[in-house]
Amino acid sequence: MRLKFKFGDFFVLTAIIAVAILVTLNFHKVDSSAKIAVIIQNNEVLERINLDQLTEVVYVKYEGKYPGIIEVKNGSIRFNSADCPDKVCVRTGWISKPGQIAVCLPAGVIIKIEGENPDFDLIVK
Amino acid sequence: MRKIAFNGLLTSLAIILSLIERFIPVNLVIPFPGIKLGFANIVTMFALFYLGFSSALVITVSRCILSSLFFGGMSSLMYSLAGALFALITMTLLKSGFDKLFSIIGISMGGAAAHNTGQIMIAAIMMKTTAVFAYLPLLLFAGIVTGFLTAFISVYLFSTFEKTTIAGLLK
Repeated sequence: MRLKFKFGDFFVLTAIIAVAILVTLNFHKVDSSAKIAVIIQNNEVLERINLDQLTEVVYVKYEGKYPGIIEVKNGSIRFNSADCPDKVCVRTGWISKPGQIAVCLPAGVIIKIEGENPDFDLIVK
Repeated sequence: MRKIAFNGLLTSLAIILSLIERFIPVNLVIPFPGIKLGFANIVTMFALFYLGFSSALVITVSRCILSSLFFGGMSSLMYSLAGALFALITMTLLKSGFDKLFSIIGISMGGAAAHNTGQIMIAAIMMKTTAVFAYLPLLLFAGIVTGFLTAFISVYLFSTFEKTTIAGLLK
C-alpha cells in the first residue's frame, strides 16, 4: 500500500471544504441579524440574551458590593434599579442599538449590545 | 477465538493511543478546544481493513465505553460514541470504493470529518442550540489535516503489518 491520492479523495476533500464554507456563510447571515445583549460583571460574562427573541420581560439580578436588577424586554435592556451610590447606570435608561453600552462602574457591571458587526464568531452557552 | 483476542488487543491499543494523544499539545499549534489528532481512528481503520465491519464496530463501541469509564463521564460517552460511530459508518461506505475510487487518504479524511460532524450534532442536542454548528468549519479543516496525518501513519503501519506473520493468521 502506498500513500497516493485517488480521484475519489479529491471528491471527499472538496465535499468537506464545501460543507465548511456553506456552514460559515450560513452563520454569518444569522449573526448579522441577531442582536445580543451581554451582561458582564468584573470581566466575567454573566448572561447573553438574544434581544430579538424575547416574548416577556426578563429580570436579571446581579450580586456584589452594590447589587442591582437589570430589566430586559424585547429589543432593549436597562438597569432597572441599583444600589450603587451614583445611579449613573439607571439614568442611562434603555439601550437598544448594537454597539451601545450601559455601565455601572461601582458594581463593575457592563451591559453591551452586540450585533451588526459582532466581535465574536459564535455563542457558547 | 483468534478474532476475539485481536478485538481485545486492538481495543486496548485504541485506548492507549487516545491516552498518548492527550500528552501531545496540539492546542499549542491550533489554539482551539476539541481538536484531537484522532490516533484511535488508526485502530478503527486497521480493524476495518483486516477484521471487517463487525469487529471494527465491537472495538469502537468498547473503546468508547472503556475510555469514558476511565477518563470521562456519561456526557463524554455520548460525544465519543456519536463521533466514533459516525466515522465508522462513513469509513465503511468509503472503503467499499477502496483502491478503485478512494485511497486511504480519502477514507481517513472522511472519517475525521464525520467524527467532527457527529460530535457537533450531539453538542447541538445537549446544549439545545444550533449555534455550535458555527464551530464545525474549523473542526472540518482540522479534520482534513489530522485525517491526512492518520492516513500517512496508517499506510506505513499497514504495509509493515502485512510483512509480519500475524497478517497471515488473519487471512
